[in-house]
Amino acid sequence: MLLQTVFLAFFGLAAIWFAVVVFRTSSMVRSALALLFSQAAIGTMFLAMQTEFLGVLQIMMMATEMAIMAIFMVMYMMDPGGLSGMDMTHQKRVSIAAGVLGTAVAVGTALLVDWGPIAGVPRPGAQVHDLGIELMERSMLIFETAGVTILTAMVATTAIAIGPRGPRGGVDD
Amino acid sequence: MSALLAIVALLAGAYFVAVLEGWASTGRFRPAGPVLAGLSLLGRESVVPRRPDRIFFEVAPPLLLASAVLAAAVLPLAPGLIVADLATGALFVNAALAYVMVALLMAGWGPDGAYAMVGGFRFLGQLVAYSMLIVMPVTAVAMRAESLTTTEVVASQAPLPNALYQPVGFAVFLVAAMAVCFLPPFDLPTAPGELAGGVMAEYTGWRLAMMRLARAVLVVTLASSIAVFYLGGWLGPLLPPWAWTAAKTLAVAAAMLFVGRYVPRVREADLLAWCWKIGIPLALFNIFFVGVLLLVV
Repeated sequence: MLLQTVFLAFFGLAAIWFAVVVFRTSSMVRSALALLFSQAAIGTMFLAMQTEFLGVLQIMMMATEMAIMAIFMVMYMMDPGGLSGMDMTHQKRVSIAAGVLGTAVAVGTALLVDWGPIAGVPRPGAQVHDLGIELMERSMLIFETAGVTILTAMVATTAIAIGPRGPRGGVDD
Repeated sequence: MSALLAIVALLAGAYFVAVLEGWASTGRFRPAGPVLAGLSLLGRESVVPRRPDRIFFEVAPPLLLASAVLAAAVLPLAPGLIVADLATGALFVNAALAYVMVALLMAGWGPDGAYAMVGGFRFLGQLVAYSMLIVMPVTAVAMRAESLTTTEVVASQAPLPNALYQPVGFAVFLVAAMAVCFLPPFDLPTAPGELAGGVMAEYTGWRLAMMRLARAVLVVTLASSIAVFYLGGWLGPLLPPWAWTAAKTLAVAAAMLFVGRYVPRVREADLLAWCWKIGIPLALFNIFFVGVLLLVV
């Protein structure tokens, strides 16, 4: 239990530190990969809390997602290496206020809410089984709706990106 | 104890892969080759290029090695001989292998070199091509085993190995596995003769030795995962279980290495087009096919 708490605290602090690094650096690739390691640290927190499937899934998904985000950030930014001293931050007062308020709410919720007794942890194998039943029964509609929405968005963005063809369409001709 | 044995087995496998790779690419069989090459690399200066992203440059080789070793940790060598028998083993292999791409992206961006960066971003594109073809065949494997645990996946193949039960998934996974460990014809991030080594171009000395070791371990890991997921792992007559795992892993590695000698390197755009237009429909068909077999037959 003590070891579990120590690991949880360590990876929690690591997640916060990497999240800070995201904004401390001007390099787009560093920023994206710092976000990746912040998310991976959260995945490790899931592992420390004995939710094996969620932890492994988080660690797996974030690697791909953040790396693909890196390529878009490099493509769209004029100074992807961050060598020209470009300032990425904006609306600083609003951001500070939102940050302080968000932290206060999170810390307040963690400290003031009565969380009740700690629930027992099912075996990892049982967790995978239960999650599968949940996805195929009660939450099926939610997940299928989300999946189809994302797929539609992907097809639509690809269709927009291809551009018109023919004698007058397209950039090349 | 099993962790130590697994590391020895991985190192032995990496040695054999290095010998086979030399044999496949030069046509000469040199058993001492990897040792001599390793010693000569360790004896040389490891140059750091001008204005690198130092953190990425230093972290990439160990991260590549770590992801390959972690993926191998959930693959069984024999009954009871497995480092971590996770309930999510088959998923964990994918999770660890995702960091191969992160390591190569770092190795591409870190040294501040044009060839390296092209290689790193090429591998990101390569991941978009192969990643679905890793996950979807593994889904069908887990469907048959009714478990993500790798030892149960092996046990489920006692009547018939998955290579025969779901041949389409086997073929798709084999191609995707070669793309993960960027073996020819999918060696787009390194591309000798075109990118001059790509992500490995700026690495020298002990750092290059570590990159090459990591690549060899990665080939062993992928070959071992094919042996576990599709060829029945340790199952087989007469020989002891570990010998079957070793023989199957080495046979798969040899097949993966020698195929590359006779196939020209694919283009990035072709790889993406083929993987998405041919590979994913095949993988979906495989899931459907296995589902029908499980429910009806």
